[in-house]
Amino acid sequence: MLLWVIYSLSTLIVNYFHIPLPGSVLGMIILFTLLCAGIIKEQWLSTAVNPLLKHLAFFFIPIAVELMQWGDLFINKGYLLFLPLVVSTLVALLATGGVVQALSKRDQKIEE
Amino acid sequence: MQNATMTVFTILLTIGIYWISLKIYLKIKNPLLTPLLLSTTAIILILLFSGITFEQYKPGKAIMTFLLGPATVGLALPLYLNRQLLRRMFLPILIGIACGSLSTLTTAVVLAQLSGLDTLLVTSIATKSITAPIAIDISRIIGGDPAIAVAFVIFTGTLGSMIGASFLSLCKISNPVARGLAMGVTSHGQGTATILQEGQLQGAMAGVAMALSAVFISFIAPFYIPWLLH
Repeated sequence: MLLWVIYSLSTLIVNYFHIPLPGSVLGMIILFTLLCAGIIKEQWLSTAVNPLLKHLAFFFIPIAVELMQWGDLFINKGYLLFLPLVVSTLVALLATGGVVQALSKRDQKIEE
Repeated sequence: MQNATMTVFTILLTIGIYWISLKIYLKIKNPLLTPLLLSTTAIILILLFSGITFEQYKPGKAIMTFLLGPATVGLALPLYLNRQLLRRMFLPILIGIACGSLSTLTTAVVLAQLSGLDTLLVTSIATKSITAPIAIDISRIIGGDPAIAVAFVIFTGTLGSMIGASFLSLCKISNPVARGLAMGVTSHGQGTATILQEGQLQGAMAGVAMALSAVFISFIAPFYIPWLLH
C-alpha cells in the first residue's frame, strides 16, 4: 500500500514536471531517503516488499511475451546482436571489477 | 472465447506456467532455465499454437503488471539494509559503478550501430545491463521497445551469470567487493543471485550495484543516448 502511494506520487511528479526519469526510480530514491530519515520504518515494509521482490521476475513475463510480435526481427537480425551484447558484458565486468579492485588496494595501502 | 474469459484464461495460464517454471528452476538451478526465460518461451509457444494473438493477451498483461511499479520502488529496502557497507566504501562503489555502467552502455550502443541495426534495436540495447523493471521504463523514455529491452536484459543476465564469475577470476579480480559490484552492474538480478553463492558480501555488493547502476543510467540515458546516436 505504502509502496503504491509512493509510486503513484512519483509518477505524478515525473509526468507533471516532464522529468525524463522513470517514476519507479524517483520512488526508489524517495523511499530510500524516507527510510534513512527514519520517517518510514523498515518493519512496515518487509512483509510487502519481500514477497514482491522474490517474485519480481513474474511481472516481466507478460512484457516479454510481447516478443512474439517481433519474431521475424530476431530471426533475421539475431546474429548481429550477439557481438554487441557479449562484448559489452565482458567490458562491464572488467571495468567495474578492475576499477574497484585497484581503488580498494590503494585504500588499503593508505591505511597501512 | 469471450474477452473477459480470455483475459482470465491468459492470467491463469501465466501464473500456472510461472509456478511450474519456478519449481523446475529450484530443482535444477541452471542459469539457462530461469523462470523468466522458461515461462516466456512456454507461453509464447502455447499462444502461437492455440492461435491466441498478442492483442488478446494484452488486457491480462495490464492487470498482471499493475504491481511492477510499486515492487520496483521496494528495491530501496535492500539498498537501505546495506547502507553501512555503502557508506564505508562510498567512493570505490560509486566510481566502479559509473565506469562499468558507462562502458557497457557505450560499447553496446556503438557496436550495435556499427553492425547496422535499426535505431529501435540500438536504443533498446542501451538498457540491457540494468534490472528489467527500470529498463522497461527507461526504454520507453528514450524511444526503445520495452519487450525488446526485456529480451536483451534476460540475455545479458543469463550470459553474465554463466560466465561472469569465471571471467573475473581469469582477469585476476579476486577482491570480493569488486566481484560483487561487477556482477551487479553487468547482470543485475541474475548476476546478484549467482554471485551470492560465493558469499554474503559479494551478494550484498551486487544488490547495491544493481540498484545504483539502474539509478545512474536512468539519470544519464535520456541525454547520453541521443547524443551517442546522432
